[in-house]
This record gives sequence, C-alpha cells and structure tokens, in this order.
Amino acid sequence: MVNAGPVPPASPANGFSLLIAALLAGDHAAALAETRQLRALGVPPEQIVTAGLEVAMGRLDEKCTVEQFNLLEIMLVGRAVSVVVHELYPEGIQPEKGRATFVIATLEGDVHDLGKNIVRTVLLGKGFRVVDLGRDCPVDALAAAAEREQARAVLVSGLISTVVPQVRRVRAALRARGLDHVAVVAGGAALKQLAPADLDVDYVAETAFDGARYLENLLAAEEAAA
Amino acid sequence: MNGLERILAAVRFQPTDRVPFVPQLFGYAAIAAGFRLADYLHDGQLLAECQLRSRETLGSDAVFAFTDFSIEAEALGARLEYYDAQYPDIVVPVLQPQEDAGRLAPPDPASAGRLPQVLHAVGLMRAAVGESCCVAGAITGPMTLATQLYGTETALFIAVDDPERFERALDLATATALSFGAAQLAAGAHAMVVFDPAASPAVAPADFFRTRLQPRLARLVAGLRAAGAQIVWLNVAGPTAPILSLYAEIGVDIATFDYYVDAAAAQRLLPRTCLAGNLKSLDFLLPEAAPRIGAQASALIQAFSTRGGFILSSGCEIPPESAAAAVSALAHAAGAKAGTCRS
Ligand code: B12
Repeated sequence: MVNAGPVPPASPANGFSLLIAALLAGDHAAALAETRQLRALGVPPEQIVTAGLEVAMGRLDEKCTVEQFNLLEIMLVGRAVSVVVHELYPEGIQPEKGRATFVIATLEGDVHDLGKNIVRTVLLGKGFRVVDLGRDCPVDALAAAAEREQARAVLVSGLISTVVPQVRRVRAALRARGLDHVAVVAGGAALKQLAPADLDVDYVAETAFDGARYLENLLAAEEAAA
Repeated sequence: MNGLERILAAVRFQPTDRVPFVPQLFGYAAIAAGFRLADYLHDGQLLAECQLRSRETLGSDAVFAFTDFSIEAEALGARLEYYDAQYPDIVVPVLQPQEDAGRLAPPDPASAGRLPQVLHAVGLMRAAVGESCCVAGAITGPMTLATQLYGTETALFIAVDDPERFERALDLATATALSFGAAQLAAGAHAMVVFDPAASPAVAPADFFRTRLQPRLARLVAGLRAAGAQIVWLNVAGPTAPILSLYAEIGVDIATFDYYVDAAAAQRLLPRTCLAGNLKSLDFLLPEAAPRIGAQASALIQAFSTRGGFILSSGCEIPPESAAAAVSALAHAAGAKAGTCRS
C-alpha cells in the first residue's frame, strides 16, 4: 500500500517538534497526522501528552498574556488538542491514567461556555482528566459528579451575574456529601470580578492558565506533603 | 441643564452643571419595579414605564429602549427561552452550521418579533420626556448578531475556516442593525447605542476588529447619523484597550470603557471622544459595595475634571438583580437629584 501521508519523522524527537508546531498553529489535521506517526513509532499515549500536548500548552500559556489574548487562536489550538486526545483515548482518559480528575461546568441559567471549554482543553492538554458537565448545570449535579468521579476539584465558569448565588452554594453541596477536601475554583468574566470570599470558593482565576497553575501548585503541595 | 443638554455638552467637551450620569440600567428597571423580566421584554409600554420610573427615582440623564441581545436574532427566526428574572437565551439558532446568511434579509422593524414593541417604547418615552432627557435606542452590533446567527462557537470556527461566508453573516447583521436603528430614530430616539459585546478583544482579536468590524461599524455609524441620530454610542465591554483608539475613525460620539481600562489609558486612547464608564458591573450586586462605588465614582469624576468629555456610568450592564443601595451610591456621587427630568 502506498503511504500518502506526510514524510515519516526521522525520530520521535523530530515527531514531537512537528506535533507541537502543528498544535500551536491550530492545524488539527497535521496534529492528528503527527500523532499517528508517533504512535506508529511505538510512542505511548502518555508520552505524547507529556512531551507533546503539555509542552504546547506551556508555550501557549507564555504567549497568552492579557494583551496578547487571542480567542480564535486558542480555540483552534483547543480543537487540535481535542482531536489528538480523542485519537489517543477514544474511550476518554481513564482515572488511573490522568494526573487527577476535575469536574467543570457552567451553572444553571448560564449558557456561556467558550471559557469553560478553553479551561477544559488546557487541563486536558496538561494530562488531567476533566469531566465536563456542560452548561446550564444544577449545583447538585455538580456535587454528585464530584463524588462519583472522585474529583480533586470542581471548577465553575460564570459569565452572568445571576449564577453568583449558585456559586455560593457549591461548597455546602460538597460538604453535604462529605467532600470537604474538594477544592472549588471559579472563573469567567462575571465571577472574576468578585473575591474568593464573596463567592465562598478557594480561588478565583483570572485566566484558564492562571487556574491551571493554581491547580498544579495545589497538587504539587499535596505530593510534597505526602 | 437637562439630561439631553448635559449629554450633548459632554459629547462636545463643553462644561456641564454636574457630571452626566447614565447608568446602564436595563432589566434592573423592571426587577426594581416588581415586574418579571419576560414581561418587560415583550411589552413596550411596560418597558417605557419602568425606564421612566427608574430615571425619576435616580435622576439619571437617559432612558434606554434596550431589551436584550437576542431580539434581532429572534426577529430573524431564532427560538428563545424566557425567564422571570434573567435575560432570554437562544435555544434554536437562525442558521445551521452549513447554511449561508446570504439567503436572509433584514427583518422588518414594524412587524418582526418584538421589534415593534421597542419602537412603541421609544415613542412613549419620547412623548413623556420631550427634549428634557436623552431617549436612547439600542441595536445589537454586527459581530454579536453575526455570531448569534449560528451560535458563537460555530460562528467563530466559520470565521476562521470559511471567512467569506462569515463576511456575509456580518453584512446581514450590519444591514439589520441599520434598519432597526433607523426605525427607532424615526420613532423618536435621540441617541443610538450600538451594543457589540462580541466585538471585544475577549472574543475577536484586535486585527480581526480592524479588518472585518471597523469598516462595517463605520458604515453603520454613518448610516445612523444620516437617519437622524444626534448621538451614536459604541458600547463594548471587557478588555478593549487594543481597539479603543479605532473608535475615533469609526466616528462614534460616546465610547464605553470597562473596568479593565483605567481612566488615564482611556483618555490617552481616545483624546477627543466622550468616554462613558467604567465602574465594575458586578460590584452592584453587593449592598456593602456602596461606599466603594461612591468613592470610585468620585475618583473618576476627578480624573476627568479638567478634560471633560465624560459620562459617569458602568463598564457593562448593571445586573438586573443589583442592590438598590449600590445603584443609589452612584447617583449620589454624580450629584443627580431624583425627579429632575420631566418635560
Ligand atoms: C460570547 C458571549 C455570549 C454568547 C455565549 C456563547 C457561548 N457558547 O459561550 C451568547 C450569544 C450565547 C451569549 C448570551 C448571553 N449573554 Co453573553 N456574552 C458573550 C461575550 C461577548 C463574550 C464571553 C466570552 O465567551 N468570552 C471569551 C471567553 C474565552 O472568556 P471567559 O469566559 O472570561 O474565559 C476566560 C477566563 O475567564 C477563563 N475562565 C472562564 N471560566 C473559567 C472557569 C475556571 C474554573 C477557570 C480556572 C478559568 C475560567 O478562561 C478563559 C480563558 O482565559 C460577553 C461580553 C464580553 N465582552 O466579555 C457577553 C456577556 C458575558 N453576556 C452577557 C449577557 C447579558 C448575555 C445574555 C443574557 C444576553 C441577552 N440575551 O440579552 C445571554 C445570556 C444567556 C444565558 N442565560 O446565559 C453579559 C453579562 C452581563 C452580566 N453582568 O451578567 C456580557 C458581559 C455582555 C455585556 N453585557 O456586555 N453571550
């Protein structure tokens, strides 16, 4: 059979740089092709995440300052990351393979989800398992999912003011299930105007990357303590 | 000075007796008067009454015939879901991902969806206030309406994958805005507010704004002026520092700046354009924020005292469920007196 795909990379190292370049260019077709090449060379999915996706996410993070923020670019990278993750884990990332599990949602009455989707992709790109409950999600469904999925944190994205009272109920809903250890992180254009104390959450993120850093630091501190 | 004179003076950088005070109060006017938002958004008379009452209570300088960002999309065929205390959202968009906006024509403001209710509200408010206070009409800007046609995420992917098709969506949106705006001006609006939240760099990168949106906004502003607008106000929330300087070429009279951009930066970016802003809208939810809002408002007034060309406002909508004490704190800082804007 004639191979019509791109010229095979000489080595996995070369393949990784091509994958990272394709991801950052938002070229999902090329990213998928490079991922398949790496798999054909025997590179395991976990390594493609850590040496490919995570590196690309790190570069994107460096580029995305408040002045340089470009939603279209991030959405295209996000689409490429999703395609790669789907190729690597067609059944979804299993709990023991991911670094930790987070559940994420926008709450009842809020249909904004562009920001939430970016947070999901950034965390997926960093190798975490993310359970996305979508938008318009009741607080109780969020807490139930945190229990079911053994989540380390619940992440809420809020763009309209009417969800503020619901965000304030998240902690109590978790406590009612004995989930006092689960961290609550908020973000999104509306919620980030308020302080953690106003919302009864552990952290209010300015950007998706800022939130991801908070979560990574939280896990690193736990690992160091263990 | 009355409200309209005050705003016109600020637009011309002329002195005013007190700072013009135009809080972005829309659905708040209904909730504060004890009405359901869904009713307010369907009934032009109720909208007019609530706006007039809110202005009477606070002494603000304008009333708004603004309903919600989905009204034009609904008139074009989208299906909406309504709520008691929050704005509607689109449950079925106008176009499927593969469809082309070229097949659509702007809706008729006299008959499509709720558009006639807005014209009714404008007429009632203008009859009530005459020339004593500014009657502001409202239209959804090109980027926001274009993205609403498909749903935002789908639309943004189309903008990248099939730019020409997205341009046709932008053109339909621009034509819709102009026709609805002209109808509101004919019904008696003094000013036209172009709300284009999706044009914010939070969504559309600055070079996208410059190449795709700026020319259409300039055309829209010129068209509104030709249709009789005394004042055109471009209202985009969020981190707008990368695009604010372009508003001067677009030709707007008033530019909103949100809390992301401080007063000094806004003045630098738009030295000859009247600026409206920039209190944090979510602060108004907290009754305990009243003193802070008062202090920030005073600082803003101070920051513009030598330059002029300023309207005290919030950087985005003051949410419908805001605390009355927080809203009053703003009126107080402006030195606005209740019940001062009758014809
Ligand atoms: C796009 C948009 C929409 C789209 C949403 C499409 C979608 N699928 O998401 C549509 C058209 C559907 C929409 C509808 C409405 N919208 Co809207 N919308 C916007 C807009 C233009 C951009 C928001 C956005 O997506 N930004 C881009 C994303 C990437 O930014 P972001 O969410 O902040 O996310 C970043 C960070 O905050 C962070 N992040 C986000 N969430 C989280 C969570 C965690 C845990 C972490 C760590 C980080 C994080 O990650 C991202 C990258 O860094 C804003 C205006 C603006 N300029 O911001 C208005 C805005 C949010 N909308 C508003 C309103 C009022 C509405 C409507 C009520 C309009 C109406 N009908 O009249 C409806 C609401 C419907 C509902 N019930 O929810 C208001 C909210 C006002 C308020 N104070 O409550 C705004 C501010 C517009 C305005 N008034 O100027 N909207």
